[in-house]
Amino acid sequence: MTIKIAVVGGGVAGLSAAYFLAKNGAEVNVFEQKYLLYGASGRNSGGLTAQFRNEALIKLALRSLELYNKLQSETGFNFLLRRDGYVKIANEEMANVLEEEVEIQRGAGVNVKIVDPDFVKSLFPDINVNAFSIASYFADGGVVFPWPVVWGLAKGCRELGVNVYDYTPVKVEVKGNEVVGVKANDELHKADYVINAAGAWSNEISRQAGIELNNKVFKEEICVTESLKPYLDPYILDVSTNVYISQSMRGEIVGGIVGSETTDINVKSSLDFLTNYAKRVVELVPKLRGMSILRQWAGVYDLEKDGLPVIGPTKVKGFIQLNGFGRNGMSTAPAAGEALAEYILKGRSKILESLI
Amino acid sequence: MKDRKVVCRCEDLTEEEIIHAIELGYDDLESLKRFTGATTGPCQGKGCLMHILRILSQRTGKSVDEIGVTTQRQPVNPVPLYILAAKKGDRE
Repeated sequence: MTIKIAVVGGGVAGLSAAYFLAKNGAEVNVFEQKYLLYGASGRNSGGLTAQFRNEALIKLALRSLELYNKLQSETGFNFLLRRDGYVKIANEEMANVLEEEVEIQRGAGVNVKIVDPDFVKSLFPDINVNAFSIASYFADGGVVFPWPVVWGLAKGCRELGVNVYDYTPVKVEVKGNEVVGVKANDELHKADYVINAAGAWSNEISRQAGIELNNKVFKEEICVTESLKPYLDPYILDVSTNVYISQSMRGEIVGGIVGSETTDINVKSSLDFLTNYAKRVVELVPKLRGMSILRQWAGVYDLEKDGLPVIGPTKVKGFIQLNGFGRNGMSTAPAAGEALAEYILKGRSKILESLI
Repeated sequence: MKDRKVVCRCEDLTEEEIIHAIELGYDDLESLKRFTGATTGPCQGKGCLMHILRILSQRTGKSVDEIGVTTQRQPVNPVPLYILAAKKGDRE
């Protein structure tokens, strides 16, 4: 008998799980409450890295990097993937944080190393070497454009027979201690498994199944400048000021400030963000001062208390979590979706062992 | 060439390309914007949004009201970083 799956949330996590489940014979429906790309998967800066402190997360990130290559050919969609490196920079105070995590990452097989400001300058001549004292360089990291990633995954899903419903909020239906499916527009879509991949809305979806999730919700703001010719190769994250910049394939300098916790889910932009960002980015790259900001926006994401994604079964039979990716969903969720599909269909997944 | 109607100059999109995207299923404004890039370039939709709405309306049969508009992202006009970074009393 075919396994029926309902995925709640049409972001990178949900679509990746749907794609690999359908590829392996499951019957899958994906439900997105708004349009695809409304959530964090459509509002992030596309940085791809494996510079994490947890080994399972690192493995998911390394596998995700492989998957991006594979998925863009399988789905026939150009993700505008550019692997020109991911650089974390820090001031003296935070230097030991970078040094410590590089040890962990190297132990987990990541091609990462500690470098000095002059090395970063060789990658990006306009950076102010006095604005930081140390960096960690992950040569295999890079930048992806989140929009075509989601479109490509959705297209791949549809070609495998998955129904991807947009503008379709759902309610999880549970009977006794088991999921029945999800209700959308008063219609019950029966499912053996319901996957909660609703990002910042995951707490709410979980509550519908009677499970308290308590992921923290964060809001992050981003802006872009007018376009320049290709100029900034790596993605740069300053862990001391929380500012990051990269250049999109459209030429814009995309930048933001790492998000902070919020109790209210909204995606409004603020002038405060823009002025804070401007001060920090001009210090980091003085030459950018003459560039104009074209547009700004905000997004929300969810993160579990200890900073790891929430993946796997719950005490309600068939209700599966796939959320809490924080600001690293683009880096880790493709592989998490693939692994969860394996877990559901085969009963186990090596890469998820320490997370489930 | 004279049939080539450019509707979004920033992203270099023709009417034909917009129609093609609508036919592929990107037939609501938010999806169309994110598939084609229309309204996200330097003009921020000032030059193209009305064309996009017209084409969407003609192709889907929905009224412009039904289609709605996308969020107008700040700032209204481009603002240089040095102005945003200025402290009170700074002179340029």
